[in-house]
Amino acid sequence: MKWRDMNPLEWREFINHEVCVTACDEQRFEGSLFTVDPVSASVVLVSFQETGRASVRVILGHAVREVQILRSGSEETESRMKGLILPDTTPSLCPEELQSRRENLRLWLERNRFPVTEDGQDLRVASVLTISAPYRPEDCSCTNEIILARVQRLLQNQPYGPTITDDRSRD
Amino acid sequence: MSLKPPVGVQRLPRGPDPNSRGFDRSSPRFIALCPTSIPSSASTDPGIEEEQRVRSELRERFLRTLLMMTDKPVQFNMYEKVQVPARFGASDIDILNFHVSDLETPLGVQKEALLRCQDVISCSFEL
Repeated sequence: MKWRDMNPLEWREFINHEVCVTACDEQRFEGSLFTVDPVSASVVLVSFQETGRASVRVILGHAVREVQILRSGSEETESRMKGLILPDTTPSLCPEELQSRRENLRLWLERNRFPVTEDGQDLRVASVLTISAPYRPEDCSCTNEIILARVQRLLQNQPYGPTITDDRSRD
Repeated sequence: MSLKPPVGVQRLPRGPDPNSRGFDRSSPRFIALCPTSIPSSASTDPGIEEEQRVRSELRERFLRTLLMMTDKPVQFNMYEKVQVPARFGASDIDILNFHVSDLETPLGVQKEALLRCQDVISCSFEL
Protein backbone atom coordinates (compact mmCIF):
# COMPACT_ATOMS: atom_id res chain seq x y z
CA MET A 1 0.00 0.00 0.00
CA LYS A 2 1.35 3.41 -0.92
CA TRP A 3 2.64 5.41 2.05
CA ARG A 4 0.67 8.53 1.09
CA ASP A 5 -2.58 6.57 0.89
CA MET A 6 -2.47 5.30 4.45
CA ASN A 7 -4.78 6.76 7.06
CA PRO A 8 -3.66 8.25 10.41
CA LEU A 9 -4.45 5.06 12.33
CA GLU A 10 -2.17 3.07 10.04
CA TRP A 11 0.61 5.67 10.33
CA ARG A 12 0.27 5.57 14.10
CA GLU A 13 1.41 1.95 14.05
CA PHE A 14 4.93 3.16 13.17
CA ILE A 15 5.24 5.82 15.89
CA ASN A 16 8.16 5.46 18.31
CA HIS A 17 9.56 2.39 16.54
CA GLU A 18 12.97 2.20 14.95
CA VAL A 19 12.37 2.25 11.20
CA CYS A 20 14.21 2.27 7.90
CA VAL A 21 12.79 4.67 5.34
CA THR A 22 13.66 4.09 1.68
CA ALA A 23 13.48 7.31 -0.31
CA CYS A 24 12.67 7.59 -4.00
CA ASP A 25 16.36 8.02 -4.90
CA GLU A 26 17.18 4.70 -3.16
CA GLN A 27 18.73 6.42 -0.11
CA ARG A 28 17.95 4.74 3.19
CA PHE A 29 17.43 6.57 6.45
CA GLU A 30 17.17 4.98 9.89
CA GLY A 31 15.92 6.35 13.14
CA SER A 32 13.07 6.39 15.62
CA LEU A 33 9.87 7.58 14.00
CA PHE A 34 8.54 10.63 15.85
CA THR A 35 5.56 11.45 13.65
CA VAL A 36 3.99 11.35 10.19
CA ASP A 37 2.44 14.59 8.94
CA PRO A 38 -1.15 13.76 7.94
CA VAL A 39 -1.16 16.60 5.38
CA SER A 40 2.01 15.76 3.46
CA ALA A 41 2.74 12.21 4.71
CA SER A 42 6.24 13.44 5.65
CA VAL A 43 8.16 11.28 8.12
CA VAL A 44 10.15 12.67 11.05
CA LEU A 45 13.01 10.47 12.29
CA VAL A 46 15.09 11.10 15.42
CA SER A 47 18.49 9.54 16.18
CA PHE A 48 20.28 10.06 19.46
CA GLN A 49 24.05 10.19 19.15
CA GLU A 50 26.66 9.20 21.71
CA THR A 51 27.57 12.89 22.05
CA GLY A 52 24.16 13.40 23.62
CA ARG A 53 22.93 15.48 20.70
CA ALA A 54 20.00 14.38 18.62
CA SER A 55 19.79 14.40 14.86
CA VAL A 56 16.32 15.02 13.39
CA ARG A 57 15.47 14.25 9.78
CA VAL A 58 12.28 15.18 7.92
CA ILE A 59 11.67 13.06 4.82
CA LEU A 60 9.09 14.70 2.59
CA GLY A 61 6.03 12.54 1.97
CA HIS A 62 6.30 12.60 -1.82
CA ALA A 63 9.81 11.10 -1.54
CA VAL A 64 8.92 8.19 0.76
CA ARG A 65 8.94 4.87 -1.07
CA GLU A 66 8.85 2.43 1.82
CA VAL A 67 8.92 2.39 5.61
CA GLN A 68 10.02 -0.77 7.42
CA ILE A 69 9.96 -1.38 11.15
CA LEU A 70 13.37 -2.66 12.28
CA ARG A 71 12.92 -2.81 16.04
CA SER A 72 10.23 -1.98 18.54
CA GLY A 73 10.63 1.36 20.25
CA SER A 74 11.16 1.64 23.98
CA GLU A 75 9.36 3.90 26.42
CA GLU A 76 12.69 5.60 27.10
CA THR A 77 13.13 6.58 23.44
CA GLU A 78 9.54 7.78 23.30
CA SER A 79 9.92 10.07 26.31
CA ARG A 80 13.33 11.31 25.09
CA MET A 81 11.85 12.29 21.71
CA LYS A 82 8.84 13.96 23.31
CA GLY A 83 11.09 15.82 25.75
CA LEU A 84 13.16 17.02 22.81
CA ILE A 85 10.42 18.40 20.60
CA LEU A 86 7.21 18.84 22.58
CA PRO A 87 6.93 21.78 24.99
CA ASP A 88 7.31 21.24 28.72
CA THR A 89 4.24 19.78 30.33
CA THR A 90 2.45 21.98 32.84
CA PRO A 91 4.80 22.80 35.71
CA SER A 92 3.09 21.76 38.89
CA LEU A 93 1.89 24.80 40.77
CA CYS A 94 -0.04 24.59 44.00
CA PRO A 95 -3.79 25.17 43.82
CA GLU A 96 -3.56 28.54 45.62
CA GLU A 97 -0.98 29.81 43.13
CA LEU A 98 -3.11 28.62 40.19
CA GLN A 99 -6.21 30.18 41.76
CA SER A 100 -4.53 33.57 42.18
CA ARG A 101 -3.08 33.48 38.66
CA ARG A 102 -6.50 32.69 37.26
CA GLU A 103 -8.10 35.49 39.24
CA ASN A 104 -5.40 38.00 38.22
CA LEU A 105 -5.86 37.02 34.59
CA ARG A 106 -9.62 37.26 34.79
CA LEU A 107 -9.38 40.80 36.18
CA TRP A 108 -6.80 41.76 33.55
CA LEU A 109 -9.07 40.51 30.76
CA GLU A 110 -12.09 42.32 32.19
CA ARG A 111 -10.06 45.55 32.54
CA ASN A 112 -9.34 45.21 28.84
CA ARG A 113 -13.02 44.78 27.98
CA PHE A 114 -12.91 41.05 27.21
CA PRO A 115 -15.95 39.09 28.44
CA VAL A 116 -14.61 36.23 30.51
CA THR A 117 -16.24 33.42 32.46
CA GLU A 118 -14.86 30.64 34.59
CA ASP A 119 -15.31 27.09 33.31
CA GLY A 120 -13.96 24.82 36.00
CA GLN A 121 -10.20 25.30 36.02
CA ASP A 122 -10.30 27.11 32.66
CA LEU A 123 -11.18 30.64 31.67
CA ARG A 124 -13.48 31.11 28.67
CA VAL A 125 -13.03 34.34 26.77
CA ALA A 126 -15.95 35.55 24.61
CA SER A 127 -17.17 31.92 24.54
CA VAL A 128 -14.64 31.10 21.82
CA LEU A 129 -11.24 30.96 23.49
CA THR A 130 -10.15 28.75 26.37
CA ILE A 131 -7.23 29.41 28.71
CA SER A 132 -6.14 26.44 30.81
CA ALA A 133 -3.67 26.26 33.70
CA PRO A 134 -1.10 27.70 34.21
CA TYR A 135 -2.60 30.51 32.12
CA ARG A 136 0.38 31.41 29.95
CA PRO A 137 0.02 32.66 26.35
CA GLU A 138 0.77 29.14 25.10
CA ASP A 139 -2.12 27.75 27.15
CA CYS A 140 -4.71 29.55 25.01
CA SER A 141 -6.74 27.59 22.48
CA CYS A 142 -9.16 29.00 19.94
CA THR A 143 -10.30 28.13 16.43
CA ASN A 144 -9.97 31.74 15.28
CA GLU A 145 -6.34 32.73 14.82
CA ILE A 146 -7.00 36.48 14.93
CA ILE A 147 -8.71 36.32 18.31
CA LEU A 148 -6.02 33.93 19.52
CA ALA A 149 -3.24 36.33 18.55
CA ARG A 150 -4.95 39.29 20.25
CA VAL A 151 -5.54 37.46 23.50
CA GLN A 152 -2.01 36.01 23.52
CA ARG A 153 -0.59 39.49 23.05
CA LEU A 154 -2.72 40.71 25.92
CA LEU A 155 -1.43 37.90 28.14
CA GLN A 156 2.14 38.81 27.22
CA ASN A 157 1.47 42.39 28.32
CA GLN A 158 -0.09 41.34 31.60
CA PRO A 159 1.66 43.25 34.41
CA TYR A 160 3.27 41.10 37.08
CA GLY A 161 3.56 41.70 40.81
CA PRO A 162 1.07 41.35 43.64
CA THR A 163 -2.61 40.80 42.94
CA ILE A 164 -4.17 43.31 40.55
CA THR A 165 -6.71 45.16 42.62
CA ASP A 166 -10.17 45.45 41.19
CA ASP A 167 -10.24 49.24 40.90
CA ARG A 168 -13.76 49.57 39.51
CA SER A 169 -14.76 51.40 42.68
CA ARG A 170 -12.13 54.06 42.01
CA ASP A 171 -13.43 54.95 38.54
CA MET B 1 34.14 28.25 6.81
CA SER B 2 34.84 31.41 4.77
CA LEU B 3 31.98 33.85 4.32
CA LYS B 4 30.73 33.61 0.76
CA PRO B 5 29.55 36.87 -0.78
CA PRO B 6 25.77 37.00 -1.20
CA VAL B 7 24.47 36.91 -4.77
CA GLY B 8 21.86 39.30 -6.08
CA VAL B 9 18.25 38.16 -6.03
CA GLN B 10 17.22 36.80 -9.41
CA ARG B 11 13.71 37.70 -10.41
CA LEU B 12 12.05 35.20 -12.69
CA PRO B 13 9.60 36.43 -15.34
CA ARG B 14 5.93 36.39 -14.38
CA GLY B 15 3.98 33.23 -15.11
CA PRO B 16 1.20 33.09 -17.70
CA ASP B 17 -1.58 33.94 -15.24
CA PRO B 18 -1.01 37.47 -13.92
CA ASN B 19 -3.34 37.00 -10.97
CA SER B 20 -2.31 33.82 -9.27
CA ARG B 21 1.44 33.11 -9.59
CA GLY B 22 0.60 29.53 -8.72
CA PHE B 23 -0.77 30.42 -5.29
CA ASP B 24 -4.38 30.48 -6.52
CA ARG B 25 -6.08 27.57 -4.81
CA SER B 26 -8.30 26.85 -7.80
CA SER B 27 -5.44 26.83 -10.31
CA PRO B 28 -4.74 23.48 -12.01
CA ARG B 29 -1.13 23.63 -10.78
CA PHE B 30 -2.12 23.99 -7.15
CA ILE B 31 -4.75 21.25 -7.39
CA ALA B 32 -2.24 18.91 -9.00
CA LEU B 33 0.32 19.60 -6.25
CA CYS B 34 -1.98 19.74 -3.30
CA PRO B 35 -5.21 17.78 -2.98
CA THR B 36 -8.13 20.05 -2.13
CA SER B 37 -9.29 17.65 0.53
CA ILE B 38 -7.58 15.03 2.63
CA PRO B 39 -9.03 11.53 2.37
CA SER B 40 -10.63 10.27 5.55
CA SER B 41 -13.28 7.84 6.69
CA ALA B 42 -16.93 8.83 6.25
CA SER B 43 -18.23 11.10 9.01
CA THR B 44 -20.75 8.41 9.89
CA ASP B 45 -18.02 5.84 10.43
CA PRO B 46 -17.76 4.86 14.13
CA GLY B 47 -13.95 5.16 14.05
CA ILE B 48 -13.97 8.76 12.80
CA GLU B 49 -13.43 10.34 16.23
CA GLU B 50 -10.35 8.27 16.97
CA GLU B 51 -9.05 8.92 13.45
CA GLN B 52 -9.46 12.68 13.92
CA ARG B 53 -7.81 12.56 17.34
CA VAL B 54 -4.80 10.70 15.94
CA ARG B 55 -4.68 13.04 12.93
CA SER B 56 -4.50 16.07 15.29
CA GLU B 57 -1.81 14.48 17.43
CA LEU B 58 0.33 13.55 14.42
CA ARG B 59 -0.05 17.03 12.91
CA GLU B 60 0.77 18.75 16.21
CA ARG B 61 3.97 16.68 16.54
CA PHE B 62 4.93 17.62 12.97
CA LEU B 63 4.24 21.34 13.49
CA ARG B 64 6.32 21.29 16.69
CA THR B 65 9.15 19.64 14.74
CA LEU B 66 9.00 22.51 12.21
CA LEU B 67 9.01 24.97 15.13
CA MET B 68 12.16 23.36 16.54
CA MET B 69 13.75 23.64 13.08
CA THR B 70 13.10 27.41 12.86
CA ASP B 71 16.24 29.59 12.71
CA LYS B 72 18.48 26.54 12.89
CA PRO B 73 21.06 25.52 10.28
CA VAL B 74 19.48 22.76 8.20
CA GLN B 75 20.97 20.54 5.51
CA PHE B 76 18.59 20.16 2.55
CA ASN B 77 18.94 16.94 0.60
CA MET B 78 17.52 17.51 -2.88
CA TYR B 79 17.37 15.52 -6.11
CA GLU B 80 20.50 14.83 -8.20
CA LYS B 81 22.51 14.39 -4.97
CA VAL B 82 22.36 18.14 -4.32
CA GLN B 83 23.00 19.00 -0.66
CA VAL B 84 22.57 22.62 0.37
CA PRO B 85 22.82 24.10 3.85
CA ALA B 86 20.54 26.98 4.85
CA ARG B 87 18.80 28.51 7.85
CA PHE B 88 15.18 27.34 8.05
CA GLY B 89 12.60 30.11 8.23
CA ALA B 90 9.08 28.82 7.76
CA SER B 91 6.85 26.45 5.86
CA ASP B 92 3.46 27.05 4.30
CA ILE B 93 0.43 25.23 5.66
CA ASP B 94 0.39 22.51 2.98
CA ILE B 95 4.15 21.85 3.20
CA LEU B 96 4.63 22.92 -0.42
CA ASN B 97 7.26 25.64 0.10
CA PHE B 98 10.00 26.31 2.64
CA HIS B 99 11.31 29.81 3.26
CA VAL B 100 15.02 29.70 4.04
CA SER B 101 17.80 32.25 4.62
CA ASP B 102 21.50 32.19 3.70
CA LEU B 103 21.11 29.32 1.27
CA GLU B 104 24.61 28.21 0.22
CA THR B 105 24.52 27.25 -3.43
CA PRO B 106 27.36 26.68 -5.92
CA LEU B 107 26.50 30.14 -7.31
CA GLY B 108 26.95 31.79 -3.94
CA VAL B 109 24.88 32.56 -0.88
CA GLN B 110 21.22 33.46 -1.50
CA LYS B 111 20.13 35.78 1.30
CA GLU B 112 16.50 34.62 1.14
CA ALA B 113 15.03 31.79 -0.90
CA LEU B 114 11.88 29.76 -1.34
CA LEU B 115 12.49 26.04 -1.75
CA ARG B 116 9.79 23.98 -3.42
CA CYS B 117 9.13 20.95 -1.25
CA GLN B 118 8.64 18.92 -4.41
CA ASP B 119 12.37 19.39 -5.03
CA VAL B 120 13.40 18.40 -1.51
CA ILE B 121 13.83 14.77 -0.56
CA SER B 122 14.73 15.31 3.08
CA CYS B 123 16.22 17.84 5.45
CA SER B 124 18.11 17.31 8.69
CA PHE B 125 19.20 19.34 11.68
CA GLU B 126 20.66 18.85 15.13
CA LEU B 127 19.16 19.48 18.54
